[in-house]
Parts: sequence; structure tokens; C-alpha cells
Amino acid sequence: MMQEQKARKTGYRIIRYSPWLVHFNTGACNGCDIEVLASITPLYDPERFGVKLSPSIRHGDILVVTGAVTKKAADRLKRLYDQMPCPKFVVAVGACAIDGGVFSKSYSVVGGADKVVPVAIYIPGCPPRPEAILDGLVKLLTALREEEVQNNGCS
Amino acid sequence: MDVAEKLKLLEDFALEKSVLKPNRKLFVVEPSYVRRIFESLIEKLGHGGFYLSTIVGTDLKEENKIRLDYYVVMLPEEETVVIRTFLPRENPVIDSLIDIIPGALAGECETYDLLGVVFRGNPFLKRGFFVPTDVSEKGIYPLRKDSGV
Repeated sequence: MMQEQKARKTGYRIIRYSPWLVHFNTGACNGCDIEVLASITPLYDPERFGVKLSPSIRHGDILVVTGAVTKKAADRLKRLYDQMPCPKFVVAVGACAIDGGVFSKSYSVVGGADKVVPVAIYIPGCPPRPEAILDGLVKLLTALREEEVQNNGCS
Repeated sequence: MDVAEKLKLLEDFALEKSVLKPNRKLFVVEPSYVRRIFESLIEKLGHGGFYLSTIVGTDLKEENKIRLDYYVVMLPEEETVVIRTFLPRENPVIDSLIDIIPGALAGECETYDLLGVVFRGNPFLKRGFFVPTDVSEKGIYPLRKDSGV
């Protein structure tokens, strides 16, 4: 038990110092994608938090989901999430990724990202500003330090 | 060959012509002529002289028709023209362009999946290309006005 806790703490510390992002569009209009990309530019300088884009899903710590999750993308999202190493967290960016937004009643949409994978942080907005996205990430990292985040996708 | 000459190729086939919006000319043609129009475009302009940008299908339930718009861009002037045709709603069948214009693949497969327009001669048509399988298995074409989804 103690060992498990210690391992989790070490994992959280590593992520906290340098969270690597994976960005996945599950059917967004590209508005949120543009803001996510804007938020990783030098203007907002996310590397002061150690945030950078991961070269592959298997190196990723945080999955950034944009857009309403369509039925076709739901399988892919789950598959991507399963490939990430532990501990792993999901950030839902934008109104659509939260609950489907204006597309929530559509025949081809499942709903928000939390219907498929456990979501740690929701960032509202249509689209959210880059500052809001970075603020959400920092809030997640703070929550990790306090160990407030319940579901890390593993235990 | 300047733009006017190129448009003349289309005018020969057109039932009527009008303007959708500035710089967007519209040619309404018979469905049986669509393939012949593209064959003559290839013959006169070559494969590099134009491209098929997209195929748009619309369900006109009141008129009992399905409207098909082929968006074609003339190069190098980048003049966009629309070739429009109407199909009967009960049996929407039209000749495929896929063997002469491979770029028509996505447009034709999408229009078949969403509206049920059959492109005769396209071997890649299948349900579930875009539409989720639970909807396509019921045989529903979601962009039809009476589909109920």
C-alpha cells in the first residue's frame, strides 16, 4: 500500500514537472484546435510549465480532447486513451468536448468526452482562449500536487 | 484559352444558366449529361486544367427531387463554376465520375451514404462511410428530410 502510494506520488511529480500533451480532435469545427495550437506558441510560452506536445500517444501524459465525440471517433478516442502510459489524464477543451455542445442531440454524436474516457479538467468556451487552456492545465497540475485528482486511468 | 471560352464548353450543355453569387456561375444540366460534360472538360482542358472541388447533395422534399451540385474550379484562373442537376427522389441514380476523375471518390461516397444517391459504376459505395453503423444498418439516409434522425 505504502509502495503503491509512493509510486503514484513519483509518477505525479514527473508529470507535474513536464506534462506532455497529445491533442486529439474528435469532431471539432477546428476553432478549439486553433486555440490549442495558439496556446503552445512562444507568445503564451507553455514551456515555463514544462508543457510540450508529445511526439506520440505512447509518450503522452495528458490527452487534450477538442470537439463533440462522434460515434465513429469514440472508438478511436478510447483506443488512444488505452495506449497512454500511466498515470494519464484527459482535458476536455471547449463546450463541445464537455457535453456535446450544440451537437449533443445529433444522430452521430455520443456526447462529451466523459462518455468515453474519464475527464480530469473541463475548459469551457467556444472556443476557450489560450490563456484559459493554459490555466486549465496549470489547475490540473496544481490538483496533482494536492493529489485531488481521483481518476488517473490506472488504479 | 480564356475563361469565356472555357465556360462556353459548359454552356453548350446547359438547360439554363444563372449566377449563384458574384463570381460563382451556375449551369443547370440534365443528369445524363454530367459525365459527358466532364469527359469534354478533360478532353479540352486536360486533367490539369480544372479540378472537381466537391459534390453537394440537397434533399428537396417538397419538389420530390434531389439536387446535386458539382463544384468545378477552372485553372489557372481559379474560376469556380457550379454544375447543377436534379434527380428523382425515389430513384436517384447518376453515372459515376470515379474512373475519369479519381478525386470524386469522397464526394460520391459521402453523397451516397448521407442521401442515398447511387453513382452507377462506383465500386467503393458503401453504407457506414461517414454515417455511424447503428444508423446506417437501419437503412436510414440521415440528410433526407424525412429520415427522422
